Amino acid sequence: MGGKVTCTLGEVKNRADFIVYWGGNPAECHPRHFTKYTLMQKSPFLPRGRKDRTMVLVDIRETKSAKASNIFLQVRPGKDFELITLLRAMIKDQPISEAQVAETGLTIEQLQDFVSRMKAAKYGVFFFGMGLSMTRGKHMNSAALLTLAAEMNAFTKFVAMPMRGHGNVTGADVIMRWQTGYPFGISFNRGYPRYNPGEFSTVDVLVRGDTDCAFIIGADPGATMPQPAIDHLAKVPTIVLDPHVTHTSKLARVHITTAPAGISAPGTAYRMDEIPLPLRPALKSPYPSDEEVVRRIKEALLEKPDWMGERPQMLQNQI
Amino acid sequence: MLRITGGTIYDPANGINGEVRDLYVEDGKFVSSFTGGRTIDATGLVIFPGGVDVHTHVAGGSINFARAMTPEDHRRTQAFIRSQTRRSGLGGMAPTTFATGYLYAGMGFTTVNEAAVPVLSARHTHEEMADIPIVDKSCLVLMANNEIMLDLLEAGEYERAKHIVAWHVWAAKAYGVKAVNPGGVAAWKWGKDANQLSEPVEGYKNTTPGSIVTSLAKIIDELGLPHPIHLHCNNLGAPGNITTTLETMKHLEGHRAHMAHLQYHAYGGDDWDTMKSESAQLAEYFNAHPNMTTDAGAVLFGDTVTITADGPWQHLLYKLTGRKWGNLDVENETGCGIVPYSYRPSNLVNAVQWATGLELLLLIDDPWRVFLSTDHPNGACFWRYPEIVQLLMCADFRKECMAGLPPEIMNRITLPEINREYTLYEIATIMSAGPARALGLQQKGNLGIGKDADMVIYHSDKDIARMFGHPRYVIKRGEIVIEEGDIRETPDGSEYLVKPSFDPGTDEFLRPLFEDRYCMSFENYPVEMERIERPDLQQCITTE
Amino acid sequence: MNKIKLTLKKNPTVVLETEVISPDYFLERTHEEICASVVYHGKREKRLDEFFDVDGERSDCIEIHGDLQRVRHVGRAMTRGEVTIHGDVGMHLGALMNGGVIEVHGNAGDWVGGEMKRGKIHIHGDAGQQVGAAYRGSIIGMTGGTILVDGNAGIEVGMRMRRGMIVIGGAARDFAGLQMKGGTIVLCGGAEIRTGAWMQRGTIISLKNLALMPTFAESGVYNPTFLNVYSRHLKTLGVQLPFAEVDGRYRRYSGDQGVPGKGEILIWEPAV
Repeated sequence: MGGKVTCTLGEVKNRADFIVYWGGNPAECHPRHFTKYTLMQKSPFLPRGRKDRTMVLVDIRETKSAKASNIFLQVRPGKDFELITLLRAMIKDQPISEAQVAETGLTIEQLQDFVSRMKAAKYGVFFFGMGLSMTRGKHMNSAALLTLAAEMNAFTKFVAMPMRGHGNVTGADVIMRWQTGYPFGISFNRGYPRYNPGEFSTVDVLVRGDTDCAFIIGADPGATMPQPAIDHLAKVPTIVLDPHVTHTSKLARVHITTAPAGISAPGTAYRMDEIPLPLRPALKSPYPSDEEVVRRIKEALLEKPDWMGERPQMLQNQI
Repeated sequence: MLRITGGTIYDPANGINGEVRDLYVEDGKFVSSFTGGRTIDATGLVIFPGGVDVHTHVAGGSINFARAMTPEDHRRTQAFIRSQTRRSGLGGMAPTTFATGYLYAGMGFTTVNEAAVPVLSARHTHEEMADIPIVDKSCLVLMANNEIMLDLLEAGEYERAKHIVAWHVWAAKAYGVKAVNPGGVAAWKWGKDANQLSEPVEGYKNTTPGSIVTSLAKIIDELGLPHPIHLHCNNLGAPGNITTTLETMKHLEGHRAHMAHLQYHAYGGDDWDTMKSESAQLAEYFNAHPNMTTDAGAVLFGDTVTITADGPWQHLLYKLTGRKWGNLDVENETGCGIVPYSYRPSNLVNAVQWATGLELLLLIDDPWRVFLSTDHPNGACFWRYPEIVQLLMCADFRKECMAGLPPEIMNRITLPEINREYTLYEIATIMSAGPARALGLQQKGNLGIGKDADMVIYHSDKDIARMFGHPRYVIKRGEIVIEEGDIRETPDGSEYLVKPSFDPGTDEFLRPLFEDRYCMSFENYPVEMERIERPDLQQCITTE
Repeated sequence: MNKIKLTLKKNPTVVLETEVISPDYFLERTHEEICASVVYHGKREKRLDEFFDVDGERSDCIEIHGDLQRVRHVGRAMTRGEVTIHGDVGMHLGALMNGGVIEVHGNAGDWVGGEMKRGKIHIHGDAGQQVGAAYRGSIIGMTGGTILVDGNAGIEVGMRMRRGMIVIGGAARDFAGLQMKGGTIVLCGGAEIRTGAWMQRGTIISLKNLALMPTFAESGVYNPTFLNVYSRHLKTLGVQLPFAEVDGRYRRYSGDQGVPGKGEILIWEPAV
């Protein structure tokens, strides 16, 4: 079974001698990743810095990141899952032939070399980007790499970490988990948290038109989501909290301008490795913070009669 | 103002063993008397001080990791439904924060100690603790694998190491220090473990797990932290680890110490096939050494999720069970592993573990030194404590349970020979007065005048598990929070902290070392006092 | 036969959750009690008869008419009786089912028979994703029973299933039989990619050629005798599974080597 084996970025900085970027282009998308964490840093364990580290890039095209890597493995588009599954077989010494490998666009020698380097590493790490997690197969592609990392621990230390996108996605994920048990895709309609990605995840709810109101904080779905989702946002009363005018705020019924978090509103941000960092505002803003707006909306809602009927305090069997 | 009349009181801190007395509460504290106010007639009911959990994992990066890994458990567990004054939540193996508060209060516990906090994510732990309602909280910072401290000990710079420890306690806004598998987590980061107490830790020449233990215990005594070193020994869960545990205890002579979840450290045998309980041997040594306290870390049969800073053990469990595995290494400080697990009576190893936990509770003769715990969620979930109370109080029930174990277990455990039954007074000691004293929380576990009015009122019931699982009332600082299983109020609890003194130059000493090893700026590392909701600063003490 | 007939009279504007529409729940209830059963329209508690005309009482035989695309959890955890739907139906149809029969004359949403234990579900139209699958995080999906889909099905058919049978009359999409631990999936119209990925045990039979994962190894051509038995059983369900050597043969693949697993995929090669 799967699971997740990971570490904080400081561990990568101090110990990782074998770094694999999979389906991402850190040179252009996370430009400080090499210098701050993965490649250039020296440590007591890796005194020569870059020279003590090996970097592998796995991607469908030769991006700028390929120049920074020692080894570039160009996988055929849409074959990541197959490649990772082959690697899972190879680390366990399953017989794999040249013919089986052919469809990945790589040779058996390349894979054998990769496997022996993974096993020879003292501390290996996979970073995976949207080229893996947002292409056909989606969560299963991520699961594949996480599983490979977990299985590699039978031989040496190995971890895996997603390269998340913009905004404090990780922070939302962390807090939802401690308050509800689930990271995202949660419904509260029965008075307690229920989880089912695909059913309750935002994009699916909007595309199917399962909601009659939308409240958007810290995101611009109007710019990123598929057209049916955007059409539905325009159709229902949509309320947006954002410091700026966004694609979503333009189609919203209400846009409340808020103070930008980290610049003029304090709080905590969670880094991609779930390390919390304090946000210390540098500027004052005439606008209220997101937190204050939400709190005031909540207070106003408490004035109204509760929408919940008579429900028990506790449920033994959930729906 | 609240008056509780006619109840039968068990208050070990004041030597009151089942006497009928009236209690008066004003402004959240016990007072000697007053007239007027609301009266609860507790005639025929049993009154305990509110429960105190000395060792649990309820907030922070690792339990939150466990939550993410177990959606299947959240779905099958009981749900708490929101109301206009109460947040929703889910119980189960890794309950959500709000549910954690409801579940602890629901069985009469009013203070909990989160036992493992890495400084790097302490901010996260405190944010979570602020979302645990009703109970008061404290937390322990993880130190035994902090590489900066280990380097100083290696170099013989003991005084400097002491300042570093004090600095970290304050930086994490913690209440004490936890040492997990000293030297072993640091070694795990290379996929290795530290098994021998007297062999140098991977990467060091002189520093051994044993020397780390002794130095840390001494540092904590000298700093005067109210709670002594909170030690998770090396070789957790391994057959034959009794040798390591006894050796560790010898390293602690002359110092105060709290030995965490001793059940996991009391095994004989050479491997899984020959593993047996060595609780008798351990209890004998423990009984003769009053410098130590411990909590049982008892195991109950059923599903749970194991989470510990002991990465090597977790990888072993993953290999044994083939189930999900989560692991998180935190730079320079610690690491944690997470594996869902089912303890089964038919499994010989699990059965030995189950018996060992109970044996320790029964063989350690001073209830002031052994406390109720399951190392939640590792041995079992905390909301199953009433089942352990029943096992301790009813020898017949224990025998019934033992009948379901594999027959070949009988020469591996001593439980069948033990007839001791806990009294209510002793239960009140291991569940409340004892852990409060070990934590150095003088306001807790005590129904005396001027103390915090935390108490639990039970129906007297022959069914012990039901009695302790369903209190009549739970009162927190004078406020009725639970009444017949219904959550009445959800007040916010306090957080206990200490500020041991350290050389003001420690910041400047640490900064370059920090920036060398960590990947966040030094200023962002310590948790600011403003980030703690309802802090309650406790004084350091003098130890001889 | 005594029957309860529900006819949708008002289209829900958001999702309607109706786990009460179940033979077990209706069996002992009067007409008035059935009308007053609680359903959830979004977050609001409503009476069943606000959305349905209810005819009949005290029966474990339910017939429903209308477009139920937004109606979820019909027949959840049912253990007996019959549910017949004339129209499309929403997610979680017959999830956790432990007996009885569901028949849909229309299409069904995602999670048809999710984690079901026993019973039979027959969808005459198409089914959504995760037919007979495990819910997120669960280690085991369907553990018994039969699901028949005459039309097409979405991704992750039979994900983590341990026992039971799923037959897809049309084509399945990606990841059919993902992490399968046992049981049988019959794909009459083939499937898209990654069929049988990470399977441990169990059997996938495809009557159309499949693009397999590279981690499946070919292990012979044969006409296994057990298919004879399967074929007879499937015939009673209205499915034709060829097995006679005169008609063709099955090419057998085993995998998934990545696990490594001992599952098998049988692909029918008609005789020329």
